[in-house]
Amino acid sequence: MGNTNPPAKRRIRASLSVKILTVLSVATLALSACGSGAPATGNAAGPVSTEPVQGGTFVYAEVAPINNWQTQAARFYEKSNVLNSVLDRLTYFDTESGKLVSWIASEFSASKDQTEFTFTIRDGVTFSDGTPLDAKAVKENLDALGLGIKDAQVAPNVDFASYKSSKVVGKNQVKVTLKAPDANFLRATSSVTAGLVSPATLKLDNAGQSAIAKIIGSGPFVFESEKTDEEVTFAKRADYKWAPETAPNQGAAYLDKLVVKYLPEVAHRAGAVQTGQVDLVRGLQPVDEQALKSSGDQVLPAQGVDLTTNMAAVRIGNGKLADAKVRQALQVGIDRQSIKDTVLSDSYVIADSVLNHAAPGFIDLSADLAYNPEKSKALLDEAGWVVGADGVREKDGKKLELTITSSNNSVVIKPAFELIEQQWREIGVKLINRAADNTFLATAMIDPNIEFFGTRQFAYGGLGPVFGPANNTQTLNADTELNALFAKERAATSEAEHKELVAEEQRQLVTEKALSLVLWDEVQVYGGNSDAHVEFTSGTAPIFQGAWKTGK
Amino acid sequence: MAAYIARRIGQALLVIWLAYTLVFLAVQLLPNDPVTIFLSADAAADPATIAAMKAQYGYDQPLIVQYFSQLAGLFTGDFGYSLASGQPVAERIGAVVGSTLVLASSAFVTAVVFAVVLVASATLARKAWLKRLVLNLPPLFAAVPVFWLGLVLLQVLSIKLGIMSLFPDGSFASIAVPVLVLAIHVSAPIAQVLLKSVDNVHAQPFIDVLRAKGASPSWIFFRHTLKNAAAPAMTISGITVGTLLAGSVITETVFARSGLGQVVLQSVTAQDVALVQGLVLLTATAFVVVNLVVDLLYPLLDPRILKSGTHGAPRALVA
Repeated sequence: MGNTNPPAKRRIRASLSVKILTVLSVATLALSACGSGAPATGNAAGPVSTEPVQGGTFVYAEVAPINNWQTQAARFYEKSNVLNSVLDRLTYFDTESGKLVSWIASEFSASKDQTEFTFTIRDGVTFSDGTPLDAKAVKENLDALGLGIKDAQVAPNVDFASYKSSKVVGKNQVKVTLKAPDANFLRATSSVTAGLVSPATLKLDNAGQSAIAKIIGSGPFVFESEKTDEEVTFAKRADYKWAPETAPNQGAAYLDKLVVKYLPEVAHRAGAVQTGQVDLVRGLQPVDEQALKSSGDQVLPAQGVDLTTNMAAVRIGNGKLADAKVRQALQVGIDRQSIKDTVLSDSYVIADSVLNHAAPGFIDLSADLAYNPEKSKALLDEAGWVVGADGVREKDGKKLELTITSSNNSVVIKPAFELIEQQWREIGVKLINRAADNTFLATAMIDPNIEFFGTRQFAYGGLGPVFGPANNTQTLNADTELNALFAKERAATSEAEHKELVAEEQRQLVTEKALSLVLWDEVQVYGGNSDAHVEFTSGTAPIFQGAWKTGK
Repeated sequence: MAAYIARRIGQALLVIWLAYTLVFLAVQLLPNDPVTIFLSADAAADPATIAAMKAQYGYDQPLIVQYFSQLAGLFTGDFGYSLASGQPVAERIGAVVGSTLVLASSAFVTAVVFAVVLVASATLARKAWLKRLVLNLPPLFAAVPVFWLGLVLLQVLSIKLGIMSLFPDGSFASIAVPVLVLAIHVSAPIAQVLLKSVDNVHAQPFIDVLRAKGASPSWIFFRHTLKNAAAPAMTISGITVGTLLAGSVITETVFARSGLGQVVLQSVTAQDVALVQGLVLLTATAFVVVNLVVDLLYPLLDPRILKSGTHGAPRALVA
């Protein structure tokens, strides 16, 4: 099909004779594979694309098996990446234009004070069980998102914290009323965690709503079968014709089937793509990127526009970090370029704020983030932390020993903090690195004595839900000044005013209060077979509705 | 005999009950209750939701009530509710336990065959170099980490040669290779103990008598030595249940297989308390049952055990 394939991709689906032949010709193949260059990269596009090819089965490898598919809890990539193909949402965030566009809601509007929102529901949309996705079904979904489902022990969605109620108006409209103004409410309706499910799904108990087999959506793919902890198979929905307004493919998916497999072992991810055993894999290690490019396959970095940058978030109110000077010292005590050069790759962009470069409202704070260990030392001196005999600073009999916790979701988070550990040692700070230790994380999440939480979070618009509430697991405490700022930002009535307030939030979090020690833009690096053509959402999820394979 | 069996079964039940009680107490030492830990995975858990869920799953009851109601639940097959997966514990474990049983039991049988073949060839080898080579295999097998061997085999067989899938696809290779990887590791202690006790048996006078009568070495080995040397090897085989389960966790991750291994990994990382309790109970039961079977087999090998009352005798050889 016109694009430059490397010669003879080895495929596991090959017949026996081909397998034998393969064994015999391994040496030749290995040599020829080295010769073919033509690496293809980019956030969205695959290799030089031609007309999409109809049909075929696409094999996608996720990093860990998922059992609990409850939609509102889909704040992890393993879930949201898959549910993105099963559930539609009211709105869609288009990365290219940076705008919210229509999807299941053909029109949407907000009242001037951001407390009332009206959605006009598209005609003719049905869930895969045949139920119409009408205004009534949308109201039931919004109630579940905003109020939770008591009988099924489903908690309200954090992005819908200001939700009060909604009612069906006219023939096909839903009017939502909020308890308090929220300029970010519309954006939250584009999140996978706000995916619309059939009213029948909402009536199930917790176990039912957690089972992928019972989650009925209106998306381009429908559940077909499951092998526990190994794979889930989806079939395309032939009558699908309600893709987001900006989607290149407005009809049914090109692919016949989508198979999601699990590949927990990180060492095999590049090889799985190179041998054609999977078409796409998430969680590629930086060291594997070059190998994949040189075999003619694709390295596909998907920018996480919907998320904050990767950061060490300060647990607000923590004793050792109570003084802003200490936090500012740590902020400029991080050599971000050296993190990129040492443990990351070209797929990663150094953070210049707490928001990604592509996020609406991003401001460039790079001047305040430049590596400056001398300034760090001066700030720590000013704050009264004196270098002790072992090189670690002390004050009032306490050592400046800090602990970081994080999940193991990112393949690069642990080595990054190992490097920061070395950088901070030079300014007299000892970092106890518990990054990527999930067992430790489970208890550390609710322990305010752990000074840092290494993370990146979905941030649909403002930063309030990320840093605001007092019982937030990220910061564990609230900052009253910040919360006042967040409230002001949510209540903003014009786009210009909202933008200025989001900018102020960034300055406060990164520079003045230094509560977010930012590292690099959130990106999920996928490995793609040379035959695979796939683009990604602003939340880094693959868009399988528009995906296709050259060779089939 | 009946008294022996009754005593052994009684001990087994006691061990399972103690294991369960210890885990229950250990869970109470966690800084938080299971519901709070589960809900903390998301930002800003609602206190009302936490309270409702605690009431739903009985975590709001006094400790002693929780202990006895959970214990009573076990007898009706109710192992609690796995919060992280949204499934009852029995269902979550039941869905995958078969896969692990197949892997572990195949690996065990393979390991025993390996061990016997190894010991037979070491004992019967005529060439000194061959004997030396075979004798060095068990320490090597014990030293090779399961994950390393698995990674190397997949790298070569799947990624370089393309003759097996990285995923369990039901083909012979995708079943045989994980079994082999696990069996190699498990065969090491069995082979080592068997080698030692074969040496012990061969030092005994009745072997000299057999040799003097002109019996061939292989006839002596298979007809006499093996049966007499079997008890310590059986004991160590019972103990390898632990190694088998730990090895399964790693093997299943490396080979992307479903099974208890994945469940253990997920439940521990998510601190899914009820699931961890269920798994510990299951592991303890498996361990106890296998060792019970071993104990009940001893009298068949050596009827003296029943008479002497020194039921610890076969184990003493191992130490």
